[in-house]
Amino acid sequence: MVATLEETTSRAAARQQLCGEVKALLVDRLALEVDPAMIGDDQPLFGRGLELDSIDTLELAMAIEEQYGVLITDDETDSLLSLNRLVDHVEANRS
Amino acid sequence: MTASVVPVVPVQPLPGGRGDSVVLTADEIARLLPHRYPFFMLDRVTALVPGVSAEALKNVSAADTILAGHFPGRMIYPGVLLVECVAQLAAVIYGTAAAQRAGGDLVGDVSHRVGYLAEIRQAKFLKPVVPGDQVVFKATSGTRVGALISVTGQASVGRDVVMTARLAVTEREEPA
Repeated sequence: MVATLEETTSRAAARQQLCGEVKALLVDRLALEVDPAMIGDDQPLFGRGLELDSIDTLELAMAIEEQYGVLITDDETDSLLSLNRLVDHVEANRS
Repeated sequence: MTASVVPVVPVQPLPGGRGDSVVLTADEIARLLPHRYPFFMLDRVTALVPGVSAEALKNVSAADTILAGHFPGRMIYPGVLLVECVAQLAAVIYGTAAAQRAGGDLVGDVSHRVGYLAEIRQAKFLKPVVPGDQVVFKATSGTRVGALISVTGQASVGRDVVMTARLAVTEREEPA
């Protein structure tokens, strides 16, 4: 099925909004000294990206679970590698 | 019974008739934890849902050597040790779950599983704890990612909450 331009546009807007929300959540819960708007969608969260550490994964997983009711299991920790992958995971799993 | 947590573990009477809700005695706690004097903190576990939550008691005594130095003439039980009590209670929560998985019993020799205190977040010390206080600790285990486990804990004396904290602790996996 081919999506109409309107559907595609509204889906993109929803995605953009979710990305913004997750960035704000990230900055708030991990007390990052970064403007959420400055975080790129493809920016790695760990290492050279936002420089999160392994202990931050737990806080991030808790925040996502509380905010969206989405669990990040041990097999799904790849979804914490970048903001886009995290938002993909939230979109795919939230009810 | 003041517990807000429903114990699923049957309460056992202590020898000598002290019957009030003892789930684990100090000796049983010592089988679950590697900690020993002077860093063995909890006197009794009074409610327990293995893998989920627990409550414990600690009696603070002027005989505790730490109080000789903290502080001379003004004994206050150190706040950091209240945090440690919650961390040790967390080890009881996941230790008893591991013991049950391994053999069905609540208490087993699982002290090798105790890992590290990985994070202390949002610790608040609301009121000083002094000799004569009986501190009630409550801990609940939350989200788990890999070996990292989130724990929320609080300590109270009587009706007063004296400390709240969120921690991350680690559990060491069984050797392959």
